[in-house]
Parts: sequence; C-alpha cells; structure tokens
Amino acid sequence: MATEARGLRLGSAVRRGVGRSVLLTLPMVVWALLMFFHPGTATDRQSLIAAGATAAFMVALFFLMMRTGKTYRWRRVFFVALGLLFPVGFIYQVMHLRGTMGIPMEEMIAGRTPFCFMPIPMLILPAAVTRTVVFPGSILGAGGMSGAGIAAMVGMWLALTLVLGRGWCSYACFFGGIEEGMAAAPKKATIRKIDPRWRLMPWAVLLAMVLLSLALFEPAYCEWLCPFKAVSEYLAARNTLGLFQNALFVLLFAGLVVVLPLLTKKRTQCSCFCPFGAFQSIFNKTSVFDVKIDKERCKPCVLCQTACPTMSLSKESIERGETLLSCTKCGACVDACPRGAVNWHVKGTEAAANPERARLLFLYAAWAMAVMFGGSVIAQGIRTILHFVL
Amino acid sequence: MRMRAKLGYVAAGATVVVALLTPFLLMGMFSKGVAALGLHVDEIYSGGPKVRTIQMSGYSIDVHRAVMPHMLQRETAFVQMDWRPATALPAHVSDLVDVDGDGKPDVRVSFDVPKDPKAALRVDVEALSPRYEAMRDVGRERYSRLIVRVDDAVLVRVPVVGR
Repeated sequence: MATEARGLRLGSAVRRGVGRSVLLTLPMVVWALLMFFHPGTATDRQSLIAAGATAAFMVALFFLMMRTGKTYRWRRVFFVALGLLFPVGFIYQVMHLRGTMGIPMEEMIAGRTPFCFMPIPMLILPAAVTRTVVFPGSILGAGGMSGAGIAAMVGMWLALTLVLGRGWCSYACFFGGIEEGMAAAPKKATIRKIDPRWRLMPWAVLLAMVLLSLALFEPAYCEWLCPFKAVSEYLAARNTLGLFQNALFVLLFAGLVVVLPLLTKKRTQCSCFCPFGAFQSIFNKTSVFDVKIDKERCKPCVLCQTACPTMSLSKESIERGETLLSCTKCGACVDACPRGAVNWHVKGTEAAANPERARLLFLYAAWAMAVMFGGSVIAQGIRTILHFVL
Repeated sequence: MRMRAKLGYVAAGATVVVALLTPFLLMGMFSKGVAALGLHVDEIYSGGPKVRTIQMSGYSIDVHRAVMPHMLQRETAFVQMDWRPATALPAHVSDLVDVDGDGKPDVRVSFDVPKDPKAALRVDVEALSPRYEAMRDVGRERYSRLIVRVDDAVLVRVPVVGR
C-alpha cells in the first residue's frame, strides 16, 4: 500500500512551487548569460535580440521542467525549435557565401566544406589505417563555411558524448528535431505496429557505411544516404549520377523524416536508419545516466513503450527493468508512466533510489550542453529571421 | 549507501563538472588532441604536398607530389599544378611543365584565363612524357582530371598513367 502511494506520487511527477523552481533555475540563468553574452559575442542589434530571446527561451523551458517535473514535453519544444531553425541559419549562410546549397568542387578542394558530426564513425577506420581524413574539409579550419575545422567539431562531439551518451540524439542533434516535430503532429499513429527487427537497420547501415568508407575512401553516407542533405547542403550535381544522388537525399528526407514520422508518431529516421545514432548508442554504455524501470511498481501497461519515439523499449526490456541500448534519454517514457515506475537513474544506485536527484543531475549536465551547442544554433536561426524582418 | 552507489553519484557529479568545463577548457583540449594526432585530409581533395615551384615571368607554377588513390577509391592517380597568382596570368596560358624535375618538359598545359573569376575554365594537356595522360577540353569532370580556380590560383590536375 505504501509503495502504491509513493508510486502514484512519483507518477504524477514532482511538482514544485514557483520559488523552489526559480532557485533551481538560477544556475541555468547564469549559464545562459555566460554562453550568450560573454566577451567577444556580436553586439549588433539583431545578434543581441537573438541571444536574449534564445537565453530566455532556454531558461524558461528549464524552469518549466523544474516546476512541472515533466521533461519530455519541454525538451521537445527546444528540440523542434533546434531542428527547424538550424536549416534557416545554415542555408542563409550557405546562400550568402556561395549563392547555392550545392557544394562546388572548388570549395571541397580548398577544404571549406563545413564538417557535421554525421560522418565521424565513417572517418575512424581510414584515419586509423592511414591517418587520412576522408572528408573534403580542413583539420584546423580554412575560412568560409569550414568553421573551426574538423578537429574542433570532433573535440566538441567528444565532450558532448562524454556527458550525454546517446542523449546526443535528444539534446544536441540539430537534425532530429524536424522528425520529432513531425511525429508530434498527429494525435494518433496510423501505422501502429512496426516490426522490431527494424531496430537493427541502423546497425546494418552503420556497418555498411563504415566498410564502404574504408574501401572507397570517401564519406559514403554523406555522398549517398544522408536525408538531411535536403535541408543543409549537397554535392553540386555535375552529371546524371550527381542528380541521382540528390534525388535520393530528397526521397529519404521525405520518406524517413516527414511521411513515416507522421504515420507512426515515431522518429523513424533516428530509430530505423541513422548510423550515427547507432554509433552513439555505444556511448550509452559509458554514460553514467540511464533510465530504469522499477519492476515492483510496474504493471506492464506498455504506455512507456507506446510513448517512446525511438522504439527503445520492448516487452522483454521492460521485464528486465531497463531500456534498450538505443535510448536517447528524451524522457518520454518517464513522463508517460502513470505509476512512477520509469525513472531517471544513476548507474550503480538502486533502480528506485531518489529518481528526482538522478533527473536533476542529468538535466543540469544535458541542459548546459543544450544551451551551449543547440542554443547557439537557435540564436543563429533567430538572427537570420530578424535579418529579414527588421 | 553502498560503495557502487557512491561511485555512481561521484561519476554523475563529475559529468556535470565536465559539462560546465566543456566550453571553457575541454572542447579546446579535445580539439588540440585531435589536431595533434597528425591527421591529414585525403590528398584526393587537398592535392597533396607541394614539392617544387617553377618561376615563370610574372607568375609561378607549384608542382605537387603525385597523388595515389587508396584501395577501391574511384579516382585515378594524378598530379596537381597550381598557377598563381591568377590575377597575374595572361589571357591565354600555354606552358611547358617539367613535372618530375628531371630537366625535361613532361606536359604542355594550355588554358584561357577569363577576366570573370567565376567563369568556367577548360584545359588542354598535351602529354610529352608517356607517364602523363593527355586531356582535351576538360573542365571539372573528376578530382583526378580538372581545372578549377581556387582563391588566387588556377589548379590543373593531370592523370598519371600506369600508377
């Protein structure tokens, strides 16, 4: 009876008073101010408004997480904003510098192709075997769109991965928000049953792309399969093959990022295709945070399984009291459980040991990263919109 | 509290510290670590290191080391030559180039230099040595056979035969 009562209390999440929520949010206010208004940031009007709006947005969402005890709902707002505003800022920058979303050969030869995190797993084997980076960018940055270069991006990825594990896919990826937004749009899923074997697909794509990249010495995923080329940049088509490649990007984007999430209410690209997501799953093993299911409280209603946008829960895993390796720590299952059986967890502790403490520790780390990385992307997108409006 | 649980909380606390240190310290440290690995961008893109410079009247030609494809890479071997500065080039260039440095010209490279830096370039290469492949009216077909303008240089890549 006592367990039942405790479960119900936790099931409705830990709601806090305004004062206590403000206190818990204060460190994030300081962090956001540090990230958006440190010396060296742009001081023009548009940049200041964009920085202020982004800081307020991120702090407000954190406050709501503290006040309501819910995570997923507010994180999703951030994540969808990130997914929608990244292409706005990026495409404007590309068009401004090059006049086209197609990467011309000259830019690749000059090492000015901007490096995104997606090809990282494909670069490891060629780099280990020959010390060669099979990407037309530059190690230290070469001006233009190259940004700070491959070393800086890999360094940033390492730091974020250390903190988030596969939580990267819910707090840092600037592509996943588009499909999360699509998945959130319909009230009910049209396709409700998805064969669980589709969960293996990202691993197959990862293996194929890693081996192909080693054999062909080219970032095979970027050249052939990345759906997000459709909303960022693509190889400038020089022949029929190039046109075919670009058509493939658009088809994959339309199918995996727009249509299937609308039909299934799942992040289909992330859970059934993305090789980078599969790669990040490995780092869930090294991450100290995970999500556990208290088997004593759990009456297997599978609401958590239904809510999970990345199909990271199965009946078997619920019986074992844990999520699958692909868990992105988005918090959907935690928010969905009416009995408080699904909780944030620090490895080494009991499954039900002070879940709110585990949640707070994870959220401070994850949101700090989200403000720093995703926040800068959101600010860039807002700045671009302001550029056209003001 | 059990030892494992204590260690778990210490690790969780350390994760928060790592997150806070990332923008100020860790990201830079990791980036420098990656840069220190001695990695280089694939020469198919970068064109390989420069080995010699041939001085011409008013401009120079940088000759790069021949680039060999890896494993099943879809490009053939090539050698890159850079004419720079592009602004000092005559309207029509037709130069004999000693690629391998043996004192004898290996190729004659001919191309027009339009005043518009964004205009497409075409190149003819006459092979004077059997080691190099002749090219006729080539633009930007492949990484191993092309002419492009990159910043203030005109880059020509000539395929190497039998490598």
